[in-house]
Amino acid sequence: MPRIDFFHFFRYLLGIVVTVYATVVTLQSLYDWYVYLSGGDKYISMLRRYVIVQGLRLRFRAFWGDVLICLLLCVVFVLLWRAHSIVWQTEDTLHRHDVRIATTR
Amino acid sequence: MTSESPQPDDRDGETAAPPLDRRLSDMPKDVLAHLAEDLGLDPTRYDTARDLAEAVQQRRQLIAAMDRAALLEVIRWGRRPVAFDATNEQIAQEIARIQSMRFSGLSQRGLVALARLRGLEVADDVPTPRLRHLLKKQEGFFSRLNRRRRALLGSIVANIVGDGQLSNEYEFLPPEPGGPAAPDSPPADSLKADIEESGLFGGITSRIKRTADQYLNQKLDEIEARIDRKLDEIDRRLAEWRDKEIANRIRILKITLWASVIVAVVSLIYSYVTAYLWPH
Repeated sequence: MPRIDFFHFFRYLLGIVVTVYATVVTLQSLYDWYVYLSGGDKYISMLRRYVIVQGLRLRFRAFWGDVLICLLLCVVFVLLWRAHSIVWQTEDTLHRHDVRIATTR
Repeated sequence: MTSESPQPDDRDGETAAPPLDRRLSDMPKDVLAHLAEDLGLDPTRYDTARDLAEAVQQRRQLIAAMDRAALLEVIRWGRRPVAFDATNEQIAQEIARIQSMRFSGLSQRGLVALARLRGLEVADDVPTPRLRHLLKKQEGFFSRLNRRRRALLGSIVANIVGDGQLSNEYEFLPPEPGGPAAPDSPPADSLKADIEESGLFGGITSRIKRTADQYLNQKLDEIEARIDRKLDEIDRRLAEWRDKEIANRIRILKITLWASVIVAVVSLIYSYVTAYLWPH
């Protein structure tokens, strides 16, 4: 019978569900906006240009600090992921080593 | 409708006249008379509807062949409102309403255009004094007398009510780039000149109308400025809302990332503990 670690099971399940949900909602919203803004109507064309102008007029200095923190948190997240891999690899190695020691005894 | 009568505007009996436009020949005489008046023709000079239709057609051909710049110059001189993209015929109709005999401010080509629209047959190179003379001669004795009488009345009324001149700037068409310089200043926009041109009631009415137009234009400018200010305000608020919204979204992302990192740290500690301290 497989051994289930409930902490990791819950973590993986939550991660998968939330990632799928966020991806679907984001793609759906992007597709809706694409369909709405790709219309050939005069007013839609005006709105499209207005959205582009608003995008170009964004003042990054107002929230560049938060953007930097987000980037750093992403880096930390990737490092923690890597740390998990290292811990599990070490555990596997020790486990195999212990098994080998046990057989030699 | 088909009777032949002498045509006042026939220039040359030998040249064949162009075929009459069917739309004009089908029009009733009163409609033709109205159209002829609009184009500066005197409909009472023509006996039959056919004569009138031919005269209207000839006038239309004359207008179509005229220099547009010269017509616009006459419009500026007459201080008439006209759209920049108006056709030659629309401009000519507006010129036909100008009764003024003060030709100051009008260049030679403008005078030629005005003379032709007032029914004179003049060549392109007729000198300005001759054109002025011909136009004044065409006015007729009684018309001149009436104009003088109106001018006298105009000066009396202007003395009584005060002749505050309206803005002398012509504001309907942009100045013509590279056009011929006016020989002298355009006629002043005074109550006396209005009464001289259109009579007592016509002059006063025209004056009131123009004052009302000026007031309306001023109010419209104020409304436009207010709308512009409002639009700027809306744009500013929208920009603020956009920045705030993006900052808010980034803050939510940051909180999510913090939560993910904290859970990852907890998971790492848990993995470490289960791997080294209390292995399964």
